[in-house]
Amino acid sequence: MINSQLVRLGLPTLLLAVLSLPAAAQSFRVQCPYSTITHPAPSPVTPIPSGGNVNSFEPAYTAPTTYAPNTQGFLAPTGKVNGAIKCQQISGGDGYATMADGTQTFMFSFGPLSGIADIANGQPGTEYPDVFNIPFGGAQAGAVGGATPLPGDPATTDGAVAGATSTSLYVQGNWQAPAFTYNGAIGQIPDATCAAEPASCVLNTPTTPTSGTFAYIDGHVDPRQIMDVGVMNGNIPAPLMAFDEDDEFFLTLTNVGMIMRPDLFEQHTVHFHGYPNASPFYDGVPDASVAINIGGSFTYYYLAPDAGTYFWHCHITPPEHLQMGMVGQLFVRPRQDRVPATATVYQGLVAQESDPRTACATATSGNQFVPPDILCSNPLPAAGDNKTTGGFVNGAATKKYAYNDGDGSTAYDVEYPLQIHGFDPNFHFVGMTFNPEAFVDMKDKYFLLNGRSYPDTVSPGPQATQSSDGRMHYSQPMPSIINIPVGGKALLRIADLSVTEYATLASLGIPMHVIGYNAKLLRDQEGNNMDYYSNSITIGGGESLDVILDASDASCGSSGCAAKLYPSGSVFYLYTPQLDHLSNDAENFGGLMTEVRIN
Amino acid sequence: MSSTTMNKAISMKRLLPLLTMAASLVLTVTAQAAAPGIKGTAGTGALGTFNLIAQPGNLNQPDGNTVYSWGYGCTSSTTVTPAPVFAPALPNAACGAMQVPGPTLIVTEGTTVTVTLTNNLPAAAGNTSILFPGFAVTSSGGVQGLLTNEAAPGSTVTYTFVASSPGTRAYYSGTQSDLQVEMGLYGAIIVLPANVPAACTTGLHASNLVAEATWGETDFRLSPAAYDHPGTCYDREYLFQFSEMDANIHRAAYAQVLAKAACTSATAPGCSGGLEVATEPYRPSYFLINGRSMPDDMDPNYGAEYPNQPYNGNPHMHPGEQTLIRVIGQGRWEHPFHEHANHVRILARDGNLILSPDGQSLAGMLMFTTDTFPGQAFDGIFYFTGRGLNWDMYAHNPTSSDPLAKLPCTPDANGYNTSAPTAINYFEWCQDHNKPLESNPLGDVSGGGPMTLPNPNIFANGAWYSGSPYLGPDATLRSDTSLRNATAGTFVPGVTPAAPLNSGASGCATGQLGVGAGATATATPNCSNLQPSNVQANPANERGWAYMWHSHNEREITTNNVFPGGMLMMMLVDSREFVIDESK
Repeated sequence: MINSQLVRLGLPTLLLAVLSLPAAAQSFRVQCPYSTITHPAPSPVTPIPSGGNVNSFEPAYTAPTTYAPNTQGFLAPTGKVNGAIKCQQISGGDGYATMADGTQTFMFSFGPLSGIADIANGQPGTEYPDVFNIPFGGAQAGAVGGATPLPGDPATTDGAVAGATSTSLYVQGNWQAPAFTYNGAIGQIPDATCAAEPASCVLNTPTTPTSGTFAYIDGHVDPRQIMDVGVMNGNIPAPLMAFDEDDEFFLTLTNVGMIMRPDLFEQHTVHFHGYPNASPFYDGVPDASVAINIGGSFTYYYLAPDAGTYFWHCHITPPEHLQMGMVGQLFVRPRQDRVPATATVYQGLVAQESDPRTACATATSGNQFVPPDILCSNPLPAAGDNKTTGGFVNGAATKKYAYNDGDGSTAYDVEYPLQIHGFDPNFHFVGMTFNPEAFVDMKDKYFLLNGRSYPDTVSPGPQATQSSDGRMHYSQPMPSIINIPVGGKALLRIADLSVTEYATLASLGIPMHVIGYNAKLLRDQEGNNMDYYSNSITIGGGESLDVILDASDASCGSSGCAAKLYPSGSVFYLYTPQLDHLSNDAENFGGLMTEVRIN
Repeated sequence: MSSTTMNKAISMKRLLPLLTMAASLVLTVTAQAAAPGIKGTAGTGALGTFNLIAQPGNLNQPDGNTVYSWGYGCTSSTTVTPAPVFAPALPNAACGAMQVPGPTLIVTEGTTVTVTLTNNLPAAAGNTSILFPGFAVTSSGGVQGLLTNEAAPGSTVTYTFVASSPGTRAYYSGTQSDLQVEMGLYGAIIVLPANVPAACTTGLHASNLVAEATWGETDFRLSPAAYDHPGTCYDREYLFQFSEMDANIHRAAYAQVLAKAACTSATAPGCSGGLEVATEPYRPSYFLINGRSMPDDMDPNYGAEYPNQPYNGNPHMHPGEQTLIRVIGQGRWEHPFHEHANHVRILARDGNLILSPDGQSLAGMLMFTTDTFPGQAFDGIFYFTGRGLNWDMYAHNPTSSDPLAKLPCTPDANGYNTSAPTAINYFEWCQDHNKPLESNPLGDVSGGGPMTLPNPNIFANGAWYSGSPYLGPDATLRSDTSLRNATAGTFVPGVTPAAPLNSGASGCATGQLGVGAGATATATPNCSNLQPSNVQANPANERGWAYMWHSHNEREITTNNVFPGGMLMMMLVDSREFVIDESK
């Protein structure tokens, strides 16, 4: 089935093409400044590891960022600065995934090129500059196996072997301490040109230290490392992204080419789906912007939008690239997570109202809404301050919220992104060969939660697939086991990326508390919460929805229940009542289903 | 696999989209949209009186196919119908023998609506009718049918109802609906509020009219408000009717119509009864916005090449304008429709305004992907301002020599520059004013921003890409300073001179574009050879911000298996100096 000749021919050809580009137009590169005009830093910047970078942690939110006009005529932060800088690098290319019936499926896909140890652990690959900018083999632990990562990493270094299931990577129920722990940007190396011409280097990256261990880290990358790790390394879901309101997010997409389809000079982009007031330049629609060719990198820039559950995908030939697997999850955590314990979350929301960027609507008459901000969903709660306090302690959120609700109504203990998607095996087979693809007859046969179908959804740890390069790759890093601490609440960040039909997900046991829709809090313009309870949700492709699975015994009332409704050790299910979606192609049991476990 | 097949595959995949796009662009560049329709047919007297006819006709598709269909129309060779009253009054406005969707009926709340339907479908199609869900309809004449009175072939039926509440709703055939609606017998009725709230004609909405007048724009709205509620004011509006079409059903219907027309005896085989067309299994290959597939939907309203598909889908708007979108699902499938660039506030579904418990405030959901369900309509408000981008989308540069680069931005209570409705940067988001995007820009825009833009040679540019990250002709040009020629000359904005405008170093060289806002024959020329793409759907005098609005059941953005196509259109946010003319 796999034409290895294509691989042998295609890979060297592609590498040659990359390496033969003139040095002056280096096309692979990353961007992750230690500071910006929005997140300034003392000069010179103190690099890691000699001390924490000022923009590599989240400060508490007590008031909006303060601004004053600077000499260049724009408002620059003075004193109080909120948020941090976060960066991520991804590859656009191809790869293989393993379906629950054992079928290896070809994908057009994104793979991680930063935070790859975190991604393998089911976490976002979004990193602070002082993690992202550390070269492989630098001062950070995990640089085993030589000075550069190995092809297929992290699976190669971790020792993933063909035929093993993700559970067999476990020893006595515990995920083996992975051998590969590097989370920086793959390929990041000192810029030799920069060393010779520090003036131009400094010009390009004003805050780069020009001496010491981290000299001349200006986004220059070694294409070999990019290709070693990025080729045939597609993930489904595409790498997870997460950051906080007030962050600046630098997302670099590097197009490593599709080895199995050397006939296609396929471009890729990133569409940040749902970003409010997006610019077309960073919206990823190739017709309205630029598309990234093979051998090129492009860094997308976003100031974090309003908190919520978004997602992202390639926008090149969407019916093809989405069906083929180029779909990922993305969420933005609210400012309210950073409200300190000395304040109420209501006071935190009042503070947000004093900055027009984060305010809901300042122009009101009585309680009657007056434009212009008809698109705001989180006005102050109508019930006023219920004295729910913040929980930001020592730089960490001890209380977590889905939205800036001002009343604590979206509080949760654990969160799980859940991506609903479908694969049509016929389309994927055609996509691996050279036939024209038929869209009219597209019919999904694999129904995926985070890229896996039941029972793979409840296999812990990353699932690996051997690709046609002979290497094991972590193809499906995210299990969908919902672990809830007894009495706790789990936030499910659900996104439907199906390109063919609506999807229903039902909860067998724990009620679904729907609190957000399309990355917006469910609240009317007077501040009345419009959340609701259900046992199932239905959303279309391109929609997201926030559900809290409330495993507390709140429904028992003040007198309580005789026994816990959701005791430790009990197991519940999330599944689809679209019964034909409970299948894995020809297998009639599986599909869109996973377990909820009370711990 | 043979090399022949492979070549075919490549050409199918790579060339067809380009060809279809190139073919469309001749017309798309200036087309805008609105919510056009008819307010009544004159001659019979009052507005609200409509004489409609159900007739067969052909729909054009961008793959070159014509599809036999049925639709509602205003005139025919057999029936004299008075000329309709069009709203808005667009040049070329017409209501022919049939159209898909049917004529949009526009009435004011409280009006008594009378619709007389004449059945000019082929006799074999049998009776037909119209349902008006959401209204208390009285039918008269015709023959009794299952859901309402029906018009027999060649006969008429009349429906009367009071347009009791505002909003957007569907109308469609209530006879053999699985076939007749599929064949195209559907349309929209818009009821305008009787009492426009004062808030909709004062404040920012009045300022927006000042801004429009400054640039010579016409107000094409049907009303300043969607409902009798101040939360429903709007500055611009569009109507989109989504449907899908299985051409096999249409072919089968046509074959039976022809066969039955040839019958000499009702007792001959296949000659008895009406049409028996299988509508399952359903396998649609065309996905339509207002009866057209992309890219045809972006051609003008009432375009001569679409005699039976007069309505387009080509939204434009300026920053800050509250844009009302009226959307109806006219097919049998759901369509999750993704509006790039911002959320949509759902005002109402099927004309029912969604309010908070005290009836004062809006309570409809905010959605970035709006659900459209069969037969269901919604009204929603969308806007774009660029708030929170963290860089100046106009690329203002206080050190520039270009006065347009140094415009002030005075924030109102919400942070927008609304006190200067005659300025190009009316409604600019002031917190990012002058804030640079690029670290080391080449052009005449501020530096010191967070981003190093890459070498443009390693990217593919889209047809709607303006050539820069910035909004509008002036900002786009200033980011391209290396091509600027500050010497006086004569030029026409957006027009490529056939020869150098001036000899020597002055003026624009051959092949360069003269661009700029408010330019006159004696103004300083701005010259550029910027070529963002080989096809320019976003010309030098526009340089708007383009967004794709499309079905997120992504396979529906295809036309008969070819991408791009189907249920897709580009939405343009235009800088103020570009005149949005919905009569085009």
